[in-house]
Amino acid sequence: MNQTIKIFRNLAVTFSFIVLATVLGVLFQFWDFQPANTVLVYVFFVMLTSRFTKGYCYGLLATVLSFLLFNWFFTEPYYSLKINDPMYIITIIIMTVTATVTSALTSKVKQAATEAQEKEAESNALYQMTNNLTDAESAEKIASIAVRTVCSTLSCTAAFICCDEKGAFQPTFIQQKENGQQIHRELTDPNAFKKRVDNPHTPYEIGSEFFNFPIYGRTQLLAVLCLPREIGENLNKSQTRLLHSMMESVSLALDRFHSLEEQTRSHEETIRERYRGNLLRAISHDLRTPLSGIMGTSEMLMDMTEHDDPRYAMAKDIYEDADWLHGLVENILNLTKFQDGCFALHKQPEAVEEVIGAALLVMEKRAGEREFNVNIPDNLLLVPMDARLIAQVFVNLLDNAVKHTPADAEITICAEEDTAHGLARFSVADRGSGIPEDALPNIFKMFYTAGRKESSTQKGVGLGLSICQSIVEAHGGTITAQNRAGGGAEFVFTLPMEADTNEQT
Amino acid sequence: MSRHEEIVLVVEDNQQIINFITYVLKQEGFSYLTSGTAQGALSAMVSQHIDLMLLDLGLPDFDGMEVIRQVREWSEMPIIVVSARDQDREKAAALDAGADDYLTKPFSATELMARIRVALRHLSQMAKNQPQPVSTVGELSMDWEKHIVTLKGNELHLTPLEYSLLSLLFKNIGKVLTTQNILREIYGVGYGTDTQALRTLMAGLRRKIEEVPAKPRYILTEIGVGYRLVDE
Repeated sequence: MNQTIKIFRNLAVTFSFIVLATVLGVLFQFWDFQPANTVLVYVFFVMLTSRFTKGYCYGLLATVLSFLLFNWFFTEPYYSLKINDPMYIITIIIMTVTATVTSALTSKVKQAATEAQEKEAESNALYQMTNNLTDAESAEKIASIAVRTVCSTLSCTAAFICCDEKGAFQPTFIQQKENGQQIHRELTDPNAFKKRVDNPHTPYEIGSEFFNFPIYGRTQLLAVLCLPREIGENLNKSQTRLLHSMMESVSLALDRFHSLEEQTRSHEETIRERYRGNLLRAISHDLRTPLSGIMGTSEMLMDMTEHDDPRYAMAKDIYEDADWLHGLVENILNLTKFQDGCFALHKQPEAVEEVIGAALLVMEKRAGEREFNVNIPDNLLLVPMDARLIAQVFVNLLDNAVKHTPADAEITICAEEDTAHGLARFSVADRGSGIPEDALPNIFKMFYTAGRKESSTQKGVGLGLSICQSIVEAHGGTITAQNRAGGGAEFVFTLPMEADTNEQT
Repeated sequence: MSRHEEIVLVVEDNQQIINFITYVLKQEGFSYLTSGTAQGALSAMVSQHIDLMLLDLGLPDFDGMEVIRQVREWSEMPIIVVSARDQDREKAAALDAGADDYLTKPFSATELMARIRVALRHLSQMAKNQPQPVSTVGELSMDWEKHIVTLKGNELHLTPLEYSLLSLLFKNIGKVLTTQNILREIYGVGYGTDTQALRTLMAGLRRKIEEVPAKPRYILTEIGVGYRLVDE
């Protein structure tokens, strides 16, 4: 419809100018002016035609009309297309050529000007959008800005669907109406929509009205821009280019927004974690002193009563439970210290035999006469470590082994240097019940107790192994658990031999 | 139950632990004084003769370390430090500042009494000021005059450094010697904090006197603090 009106307008302009030129020509003839003046008048009006119409064809049309009319009205024989004087043939040819060239040049200049204007408008729109996007503080704001800009540049009613950080579509999308108002609409079938987006630039519908452009970020789909179908299908080159630049800006903005969001989230997580650790540590610390008191007092009671007195057994129970609780509190304190992240290791070259010896001394108090096989190299093995912490690792592993093996089963501690890999390897192996296969992946997790339902007799909160892991990893080593051929479990950990990497957790 | 003349000062701010310690001391026949603050402890020492001090490092008014420093300015009385398990650095610092021994909370009555006895024996030996010609621990003995160390009657061939290390331990039998302290005594002031040399020296000595170096019978390792020659 629009197109036809345009053509009519252009034709009207063309004809008016040429008629005007002819009228002037007739006047000139009446006043006996030279016919050359009439030729110039025609050339002038052809140029005007080109200036005020769009495209080459009207200029050409004007040229042809000028040629015919000049021939008809102003060359002898008048009112026919015949030419008697050969001089006029040359005049007409020159006129036609000049008119053609002029019209072509004018059209070209005009087109260049139009293009420049369009370009400026484009870059202006892009600049505006980028500017707005920089200030946008939510994904919704970004969507709204994108929709507004696209709508005003392409003068249509676009829509915009955001994805969350996992690439799933939000349940609602933003659409701009003709009156400039933005509304939220529900996305009816996100899954089907997702499938279609995987096949981009093919027309598909949300209510069969949209043509979609997916916007991808660094890693994933960020959003989808939906244009009305007839606009989306009929974009010209510069519009497509502009649209892609806009989509690029939106993608950058969304990416920035997502990473900012992620950063905030992880920061909050860290703060929460630290707060939890602090709380746990404060509680543990305050528990420790009264527990020492309880242990001392119950020991006094035990000392005051005869061994066959039932009160002796009660006092002993109090003592043992307090002792167990004390161990737990110490473990929590150790663990929170590591998780706090500000715990500095004090690595020094330590003799492996001393550290194992210290662990065995602790075990002697706890497990009584239990025998441990110690298999360490005859030569002194010095390994950089925080001795007290590694001794704690051995104590926890031995404790664990004692808990899960019959009293007469062997428990072996091994230490060796692995020069090829530049590390020292330690292991605590037992011939006990082993580790259930399904528990192996979780065995180092905090508060994991491998289905120990019988824990009323063998207490364990499942902190020991996660402490081992924290300590060993803080040293830059690794710890693994496996079942042994022939029954029993084996825990192996390694420590790097280089002292210069003074790692801190 | 034997009576003791010695008076023990218990500096501790937790009433339950005071009750426990004083109960044990009473059972063993010691006289005792208690103080909940460092200030109170210092003034008690001025007004009364004290033979031994049990000192908690975490006191409400000021640091236990400060008490050790002030006491050491005028007295050689044995000081046994009481501390929590994760205070290795404080323990070592307290020992270096002049404390004689330490106890880690929670401790048993047996441990407490063992430490007190060792400390008091030191005191009495120092009072006698008459070194014995031969010191013996289990089957290990050191002849101070002949400069000979024997194990089960057989003479051991020690290097000069091993000998000075062992004699240092014998002189402080039952007492914890911090790594720093030993380094200073054996290698001299200004040697620095290179513990590797001491670990190597200790390993060599243990291979000569211990049957199983990982389960030492004579020289015990106090992880993160130092060494102690057992007092049997």
